[in-house]
Amino acid sequence: MKRILLILSTILFAAACTKKNSSKLEYGLDLNETLRINLETEPPSLDWSKSTDTTSSLVEMNIMEGLVGYNLSDRDLGSAPALATEWKPSDKGRIWTFTLRSGVKWTDGVEFTGQHVIDGWERLLNPATASEYAYFLFPVKGARDYNGGKLKDFSKVGIKLNDQKQLVVELEKPMGYFPMLLTHHSTYPIRKDVVEKHGDRWTEPGNIVTLGAYKLKVWDHDRAMVLERNDDYYGEKAKIKNILGYMITEYSTALNLMEGGKLDFQRTLPFKELPKYRGFPGYRATPLISMYYYGLNTRKPPFNDLKVRKAFSMAVDRKQVTDLLAAGHAPLTSWVPSGMFGYENDIGTKFDAAAAAKLLDEAGFKDRSKFPRVRLAFNTNENHQRVAENVQAQLKKNLGIEIQIENEEWKVYLKRLQNDTPNIYRMGWLGDYPDPATFMELMTSYSENNHTGWGNKSYDQLVAEGASSLDKDKRRQIYSEAQRILTEQDVPVIPIYSTVGHLLLSERVQNFPNNSIEHYALKGVTLK
Amino acid sequence: MITRVWGLSVAILFATVVLLSFFAYEIPTALWWLFSIVAFGGTAVFVFQQGMTFYVIRRLFEAAFAVLVIATLTFILLRVLPGGPFDSDKALPPEVMANLAAKYNLDAPLFQQYLDYIGGLLRGDLGQSYKYISRDITSIISESLPNSIQLGVYALLVSYLIGIPMGVFAGWKPNSAVDVSCMTFAISGIALPSFLVAPIFILIFVKTLGWFEPALWEGPAYYVLPMLVLGIRPAAVIARLTRASVLEVIHSDYIRTAKAKGLAARTILFKHVLRNSLIPVLSLSGPLAAAILTGSFVIEQIFAIPGVAKHLVLSVSNRDYPLILGATLVFSLFLIVANLITDILTAIVDPRVKMS
Repeated sequence: MKRILLILSTILFAAACTKKNSSKLEYGLDLNETLRINLETEPPSLDWSKSTDTTSSLVEMNIMEGLVGYNLSDRDLGSAPALATEWKPSDKGRIWTFTLRSGVKWTDGVEFTGQHVIDGWERLLNPATASEYAYFLFPVKGARDYNGGKLKDFSKVGIKLNDQKQLVVELEKPMGYFPMLLTHHSTYPIRKDVVEKHGDRWTEPGNIVTLGAYKLKVWDHDRAMVLERNDDYYGEKAKIKNILGYMITEYSTALNLMEGGKLDFQRTLPFKELPKYRGFPGYRATPLISMYYYGLNTRKPPFNDLKVRKAFSMAVDRKQVTDLLAAGHAPLTSWVPSGMFGYENDIGTKFDAAAAAKLLDEAGFKDRSKFPRVRLAFNTNENHQRVAENVQAQLKKNLGIEIQIENEEWKVYLKRLQNDTPNIYRMGWLGDYPDPATFMELMTSYSENNHTGWGNKSYDQLVAEGASSLDKDKRRQIYSEAQRILTEQDVPVIPIYSTVGHLLLSERVQNFPNNSIEHYALKGVTLK
Repeated sequence: MITRVWGLSVAILFATVVLLSFFAYEIPTALWWLFSIVAFGGTAVFVFQQGMTFYVIRRLFEAAFAVLVIATLTFILLRVLPGGPFDSDKALPPEVMANLAAKYNLDAPLFQQYLDYIGGLLRGDLGQSYKYISRDITSIISESLPNSIQLGVYALLVSYLIGIPMGVFAGWKPNSAVDVSCMTFAISGIALPSFLVAPIFILIFVKTLGWFEPALWEGPAYYVLPMLVLGIRPAAVIARLTRASVLEVIHSDYIRTAKAKGLAARTILFKHVLRNSLIPVLSLSGPLAAAILTGSFVIEQIFAIPGVAKHLVLSVSNRDYPLILGATLVFSLFLIVANLITDILTAIVDPRVKMS
């Protein structure tokens, strides 16, 4: 009897249950008006003063805008007006005046003002925010001291509104490419009142207030995200109504979905899948402002000897490496990657096995058995392993020297670079903004990212000059001179290749903004 | 009698919950309550009746102690591990590093950090993630854990539903064709890694037959493949164990008596053999739950399931200390509880076992 009662009540319960919305996955979106993209991971944060990764910035660049945008049709990726309509340098580029766009509204209807920019910068630099990208504004006068807690009064930091409501930024020293820094999400304006009202949860849908072409509608953590067209956007409105972002980490899974017609945009393709997808109509390959290199520890023998460094750089045929990876990367001997302003093909130590062997003889290693044991280190990764093995074989063949290769987990490897730099170390650099300065600064003697122990006063000086100059041709000249010091004269580094990015679109996607900084502002994309 | 009715109600309620969740129905809160009250209340009454109260309380204390030890060890091991949470290929200026350290209390002496951490733990505060800025660990885990549990329970059920019948048939007629084929399956199930089985299944069931979905976690068509792939290995283990256990039981005296009495083969199999040979399988359930949980990382990755296992693995490469600690604690707590439940269940099923 009891049993029957129980079964009956259970059935009643079951009958009272409601089916969940069956199209939950698509959030009830009309697929003809929805671009389905793979974000690849959960965006770690949409707080643009704090986020540091490419997934978050992909979302941020679609829901927000900075003072300066990119001119994506320019091959060198120049700047274009965004929230600032124009800007002018004065005092040789030490002071910059930005005229702000009027009539821009945030998604809650509040009008955009210069104060929002100042609030954003104050928040970025405030020590309590602990933003990793705070250093983006260190060129601004007093900014570094404010971030370090030495300066307490933000009004002493070099950013002000003048009588014409223009934003006046005073820098520590002249900087020709300063506006380019303002394309970065960390420098976007922010609504202080919104952040204060909602605390850490201000980036959740319903709380977040933005002003870009899209706005955040749904954020199902670790599952999916939906962006919706912002009809109050100041510029040309987005063409597609919705963007649905999945968070699928596994390439093969995403590609399965793509082939099943359930995905429109996959940001990255693994090298081994390239032969298959190259023939697809939606396949795109784009040179990125990113490069791959080996650093040499010049503090210790044998690479404290210039001749040895040159010999090693000369003994590596970059083309063999790029052919091996078969990912379309371009062999690189200069420092600035190909496809960006400042790149020059003829700079650098070119491959010449005979000359390399001769140089090594001259360095006193005619008897190769006397050559010290050299270790080449890289972080654990299949492709780094392949490159390292190839270089190892090339050095054996071209110089008759056997080097050891070893790998370590990423964070362990980073620690080791700081504490006990290997003779040869693998590294890469992805520019934060499309200006050669980001690459040139990397090898200055005071750079925290230069693990070679090498420093050259004239190089440092040239880099400083290049940064402050406002004249594009002069900058090109300065940077090629500096690159020659780095890659031909002193050779503390062996550039290997500049990177090409690969992405896959479904056949219905049109007008996709391919570019070298992976700035995927999706407002212009259309669907067939 | 009362135990039987109770056991049956729990089983029915459990089946209802599982079926509802599987077919993506909303589970009413009242049903959750009913299930919890019947299951836990009933267990408590049983425990009390059997005089196991002291035993269970002792086990709970042991569990708390184990969690504390695990928390401490994880904390120490993390700090021994080279590389910090904010090391990256773009080195940060000292000012920025100092601000980060201050914000996350990393500049305090290590022992102070430890005390703060344990203090937070006692208050139920697991801290904030370094990687998922502004999200607290509790919400990260509470949003992802249900999916993992769902997957784990399905996989466990699959493994019982496949493993037990296979083992019984194999053991009932040893060395027959059924036995050989079942054991071939079992050996392959144990030998084949899930990262191989998953693509094979996708190739067959998604690309060729088109029955199921290749990824995501949205309904029955999405659940089937991951739970099958994850359930296969435990199913194989169960099949082998059941077979061995059935073989042992059918050669025991009481089965011979039953046969001599002239009982039908079916009665002997279901009434005597099955019940007794399932006891070892039941006691294996705790470790099996462990295997399923730790094995689910690969499955979660391949099928893009928003579960908690990925946090356990990826947080380590990010050196996201609070998230590593949180995920580790949740996993260990889960295993301790699974083992405790297994022990109590064994006591219920097998009257010979006394835990007091």
